[in-house]
Amino acid sequence: MNSTVTMPKGDLAEANAIIKTCVHYGFCTNTCPTYVLLGDENESPRGRIDLIKDMLASNAAPSKDTVKHLDNCLSCLSCMTTCAAKVDYGHLIDRARIHIEQTYRRPLADRLIRTALALILPNPRALHTALRIGALARPFRQLFRGRLRAMLELLPAGERNPPAPRRRQVFAADGERKSRVVLHLGCVQQVAAQHINEAAIRLLTRHGIEVVALGNSSCCGALTLHMGKERQAKAAAIRFVQDVMAEKEAIDAVVITASGCGTTVKDYGHLLAADADMSAAAMAIARKTRDVSELLNDLQLHPPKENMAYKVAYHDACSMLHGQRVVVQPRAVLKRAGFSVHDIAERHFCCGSAGVYNMLQPEIATRLGQRKAANIAGSGADILCAGNLGCLTQIGHYSDLPAVHTVELLDWATGGPMPPALRAYPLAPETKTEAPQNDTAPLSAATQSFW
Amino acid sequence: MNLNSQAQTPKFLDIVRRSIGDDWVHTADATVSRYGETTLPGSDNPPPAVVYPGSVDEVVAIVNAANETGTQLFPISNGNNISQGSRAPVGANQIVVDLGRRMNRILDFNEDMGIATVEPGVSYQQMHDELVRRGDRFMVDVTSGPPAGSVLGNALDKGAGYTPYADHFAMTCGMEIVLGNGQRLRTGDGALETARNWHMSKYSYGPYLDGLFVQSNYGIVTQAGFWLMPKPPAIRSFAFTFDNDDDLGDIVAAIRPLRMSGFVPTMMRLCNDLWLLASETSHPSYVSGRSITDDERKDLQRAHNLGSWTVSGAFYGASDAQIAPMVERVRSHFASLGRGRYISHEEAMESPTLASAVAAYAGVPSVHEMKQLAWRPGGGMASFTPGVPMDRDLVLQSSRKSREILRSHGLEYLKMYVCGPRFARGLHHLLWNRTVEAEDRAADQAYKALAAAYTDLGLQVGRSPIRYQDFHMSLLGDATRKTCEAIKDVLDPRGIIAPGRYGIGRAATA
Ligand SMILES: Cc1cc2nc3c(=O)[nH]c(=O)nc-3n(C[C@H](O)[C@H](O)[C@H](O)COP(=O)(O)OP(=O)(O)OC[C@H]3O[C@@H](n4cnc5c(N)ncnc54)[C@H](O)[C@@H]3O)c2cc1C
Ligand code: SF4
Repeated sequence: MNSTVTMPKGDLAEANAIIKTCVHYGFCTNTCPTYVLLGDENESPRGRIDLIKDMLASNAAPSKDTVKHLDNCLSCLSCMTTCAAKVDYGHLIDRARIHIEQTYRRPLADRLIRTALALILPNPRALHTALRIGALARPFRQLFRGRLRAMLELLPAGERNPPAPRRRQVFAADGERKSRVVLHLGCVQQVAAQHINEAAIRLLTRHGIEVVALGNSSCCGALTLHMGKERQAKAAAIRFVQDVMAEKEAIDAVVITASGCGTTVKDYGHLLAADADMSAAAMAIARKTRDVSELLNDLQLHPPKENMAYKVAYHDACSMLHGQRVVVQPRAVLKRAGFSVHDIAERHFCCGSAGVYNMLQPEIATRLGQRKAANIAGSGADILCAGNLGCLTQIGHYSDLPAVHTVELLDWATGGPMPPALRAYPLAPETKTEAPQNDTAPLSAATQSFW
Repeated sequence: MNLNSQAQTPKFLDIVRRSIGDDWVHTADATVSRYGETTLPGSDNPPPAVVYPGSVDEVVAIVNAANETGTQLFPISNGNNISQGSRAPVGANQIVVDLGRRMNRILDFNEDMGIATVEPGVSYQQMHDELVRRGDRFMVDVTSGPPAGSVLGNALDKGAGYTPYADHFAMTCGMEIVLGNGQRLRTGDGALETARNWHMSKYSYGPYLDGLFVQSNYGIVTQAGFWLMPKPPAIRSFAFTFDNDDDLGDIVAAIRPLRMSGFVPTMMRLCNDLWLLASETSHPSYVSGRSITDDERKDLQRAHNLGSWTVSGAFYGASDAQIAPMVERVRSHFASLGRGRYISHEEAMESPTLASAVAAYAGVPSVHEMKQLAWRPGGGMASFTPGVPMDRDLVLQSSRKSREILRSHGLEYLKMYVCGPRFARGLHHLLWNRTVEAEDRAADQAYKALAAAYTDLGLQVGRSPIRYQDFHMSLLGDATRKTCEAIKDVLDPRGIIAPGRYGIGRAATA
């Protein structure tokens, strides 16, 4: 049975309350990627909850082992989907990471790499420069090991990415304006995959939505939050909220195409709860925030311009499946656009991307990436689709299928260009018609079933 | 030698480490303490160690080592036996043999016959995913419990689901078992070198041995064949909700002809308000020792647009259009009761409280119903599972009794009948705060009071939490007990496989 922790600090009362709700049913272990891979109770959600409990109760720096087990957590939140006691593990692990960051002195190399990631990734200019340097080093990546090698491997290869607007820019709706939204460009996405944002802008404006892009100042704070860097995360969140609030004309939604960001922005009410000046605005922004697939699912999309029945394996980013519970909408809208949507086995399992996880924990991330790629190969699809750049990059590294964002496919289906990643692949849509929905039960010799 | 004192454990573990490898023998406190946890009344029962075999040969090696040293084992498949004992052994010092960790392969899939041969670790989710991957032509009958539950482990505990393939043990055909004496047995035609009928014919030649390994402790089952239902092109559910607690008897009477004629092909789930609502909301005014009031319950019903009892089922067919007239017939059948509100397939799909039913009829695992466990804080849960004839008066009488007993123990009545033609599985989920001693005691007393009341009505459970297995076996009478013990003495003469499980053999007290 669980016991009560006397929390030494008032501001950790929330963590205490969360810890108390864990009653050790253990369902979570079945769906926790690290437990399934490593088979160690301390690599399971409830094991980690116990470690966090001890760590916070002691109010001291944690042991190296505790840090290892908590660092190995992907923050994929699969455990939250499974948990019958509704334990709010997401906020607990965030709190634990902040505690580690504040009390534990990591080895020098670890500190350097984390500091660099926290400085560079949320800053599009710095990231742009880093990517150019990385591109020069990429051909020699075999010479590197561990995390550096992993980072070089993950660098975007091939075509140069179009530049993102540096300043606020408004993209007018085609025809009559039905609504007006802010599109979050994503700090990494606008540098590494601006073509996704461009597809989103084309798609939304084509359907009567005016799009405001806030320019490259806005990082949502997700990456730093998951590294335990609370101060930076809050500062980024405040900037984001202020940028959106600065819009003079009313907006109907804040639209996100990088679901990792979406989970964090939708939770701004919590992140900035203690900030008296910002909390109301943060809450308002959070309420307006929608994954792009949620918005699109509510629209009447233009009919597909041709037969689009390409076989698409839809990968649920953990931030969509577990973080925001946006599961039905992307599938529904892809199907309506004519695609033949296939589920992937073990869809609840993280692909190993998890923000900067694949750079910081490359071994586990590699195993998860390979496992995901094998499941995707088994789906029988020709295209991989997801709603999060991190997953596309990670899976693209292990899978042979071309990997594209949901908005790229929808843009293509409704009049936009073919997504760049598909151009080099010989693809053919399914031509056979679906099994007829007859009123008489068909007997199919091939399937041996009679209905 | 003192059988199953802890003294022989190190020797046993040494032998096992040599045969299956160090990595697969765990004794760390972090591991064993969690394998001892249950949701049941009373304290936990951590095993001294957990071992993870990877093949049938390794299972044989473990059983032989146990015989040699007099060590008791407790085999589990995936150990998702929540509300019945989870992964914890039934007796003290029993070593958990966790088969699911490594023996989790689908060994064969016969696409013509719809037969999967599986190891113990194959879960509902895994099976479902694999069937989708193979073209979505078959569906597995799932439970409304944990998706990670074992297809095989569940069948061995007489678990059941909701489609026409609901009786999970009945859908097994041909098993492989390592008996307590270390011998390897394949049932049916499995002994033949090139058996063609092993997973096709349930009875074949000679006595039907498979039944011996269900709710018993004579061996460790290492694989079995499972029959799978071809997936229909269209599946449509229907549901009706009724306002009054006492509508129950009439609903049961209305269900029986639908099931006896086979007109409705699925089991029909008949759930009370709190069974459905508890996965959506928690107790509105939880105070230890006090049950929810009828007024609070009515408020919850209104908030969720559900009545006291809700019945559902599903039709399968070639198309929605083909199914529509069948739904219409069921509607007019229930309309003849003069009350009740119809809930269409579309409405049910949108309703979180009915989501797990719709998923289950379609063979899709879901975590939805498990959220019931957050009804009260503190993690206590036990299933009390008396079956009951599909008899209007008896169902009503026993249901009233359950409600009264649970209320008098300060607990809520969560009930689902899973209705077949003549018999319904009757599931009570007892939920309480396990961290409050008095409430934990009350839950134990409530279980015993329910068991006594149902015994008086001539009704026995279909499955039992480990803590009450001895008690339920004692109700079966001397001849049954002696027969079970005699079989145990032959198949497991040293009593090393889970003594005490289902009240067979003697377990050291936990
Ligand atoms: C909300 C909720 C809903 C549920 N709904 C259902 C339902 O609809 N239907 C249902 O049947 N159950 C249901 N359950 C109960 C239970 O969770 C499931 O039955 C679950 O599938 C059992 O776990 P398992 O399959 O992993 O089996 P295990 O826990 O692995 O096995 C069950 C028992 O069988 C024995 N055993 C297992 N494998 C072997 C083996 N290979 N050899 C010898 N003995 C073995 C062990 O004693 C073990 O304790 C529900 C539970 C909850 C909490
Ligand atoms: S967030 Fe993911 S990796 Fe972390 S404990 Fe939960 S399931 Fe495991």
